[in-house]
Amino acid sequence: MTIWERFDNMDRRWVYLMVALAVIIPFLVPMKFDISITPEVQSFYDAVDNLPDSCTVMLVFDYYPSTAAECEPMAIVAAHHLFRKDCKIITLSNIPYGGPSMAETVTRAIAKEYDKKYGEDFVNLGFKYGYVAVLKGMGISIESIFPTDNSGTPLAELPMMDSVTNYEQVSFIYEIADNATADYWISIVNAGYGVPMGVGCTAVMAPKFYAFLGANQIVGLLGGMKGAAEYEILIGKPGTAFRGMDVQSMVHFVIIALVIIGNIGFFVTKRRNRKKSA
Amino acid sequence: MSGIEILQIWIIAFFTLALFSFLYKDNPFYRLAENIFAGLTTGYQVSLIWDTVIIQKLWDPMMGGQWWLFLPGLLGLMMFSRFFPKISWMSRVPLAVVMGITAGIFLTTQLHGFVLPQMQATMNTFVTAKGFADYFLASLIAVGVISTMIYFYFSHEHVGVLGVTAKLGIWFIMISFGAHFGYTVMGRVSLLIGRTQFLIEDWIGTFSYIF
Repeated sequence: MTIWERFDNMDRRWVYLMVALAVIIPFLVPMKFDISITPEVQSFYDAVDNLPDSCTVMLVFDYYPSTAAECEPMAIVAAHHLFRKDCKIITLSNIPYGGPSMAETVTRAIAKEYDKKYGEDFVNLGFKYGYVAVLKGMGISIESIFPTDNSGTPLAELPMMDSVTNYEQVSFIYEIADNATADYWISIVNAGYGVPMGVGCTAVMAPKFYAFLGANQIVGLLGGMKGAAEYEILIGKPGTAFRGMDVQSMVHFVIIALVIIGNIGFFVTKRRNRKKSA
Repeated sequence: MSGIEILQIWIIAFFTLALFSFLYKDNPFYRLAENIFAGLTTGYQVSLIWDTVIIQKLWDPMMGGQWWLFLPGLLGLMMFSRFFPKISWMSRVPLAVVMGITAGIFLTTQLHGFVLPQMQATMNTFVTAKGFADYFLASLIAVGVISTMIYFYFSHEHVGVLGVTAKLGIWFIMISFGAHFGYTVMGRVSLLIGRTQFLIEDWIGTFSYIF
């Protein structure tokens, strides 16, 4: 058996082991690879940075806990950037699992750093079932869809919501998603009500959203952990996404090497078999 | 760090490692974690819908005087007639309502939100182009869009010019699949990084409190 045939028949668990080592080693020995800022992240940052101070922004937690590794760093940088600009933040979620509690955890933790108060500077509307009805309904009245906030307090008792009736008072939508709800924010809210928006999504979804970016339907795009890491650099708060990029690069090296070696092996074995049969 | 926080971290770590153990081979720990996850998510979803839909959007408003909400409630109940063969025809009524509303909403939002802006942006690439690079990219987009659409045109046999263009379309589709695959790898690796970060920083971090 040649080395290529042996490689071809290698137990897949060796690949898992190689990937595991590529993940663990950079955590223990940081390699500090450079992270360049891509135009889509820069334009996202600029759009948020150019918002008028004290404006109202919707920060949407449309991701499940399973993708928190990619999406939570985006939510954290968004909250930092928005609180730093004194923006009023309305958080909500269109997905049933975890969205409202993650919104609560992230915004409350970061609000403390900027001395922001719940009800005056940020509000968590929580979750409501049926995203199409929710997104369309909020165009008429947010209170009709969310009569209370996530903890059951009527919106009428939250001072921040006095001046917010519907999308007309919302300056920007910061959508963080790991599923198709981002499509509906674009097609229903952005197209229907003209509210500018930026999307932070998982890497799996990112290629699709470049089309919306190219058509100026969204002002910027954070694609996966890389997008979040770039935003962390832009706001000067390197966090979990930034730390994860060394690992990301290392695993990519391993996967690229395996793909190249696997393909060389495939062609060498094919050529040898052809020679044998001839 | 409180005792309850440490316990919480250890429970998360146990289930993370139990699920990872499947990479070696199927085992009882993996099955335990998988079944607990399935049971928990189902239970959570049922209780959530009960509270946010049935109670908050139907029962409470009805009790508050909005009696006409019994109509959507009744339509919802009619869905369950599928379980009884003799009256299963009743489920078609709410299904027809749902289909009608969905088609009405999505027809306009898809057209207004996706098709028209995307068509406009594709057509505008030449108008907004400045310099050779922009024109080259605009041409690439035009060729890519046309050849890909021709690949999905099945009313004529793909021979001659149509066949060559359709083959070019396949190349564009393949390149797009490559980009998607690359991003998918990045996404999956990110999730692995998240779990590893938790195990190394949070879980191993608790060792100093315990040992």
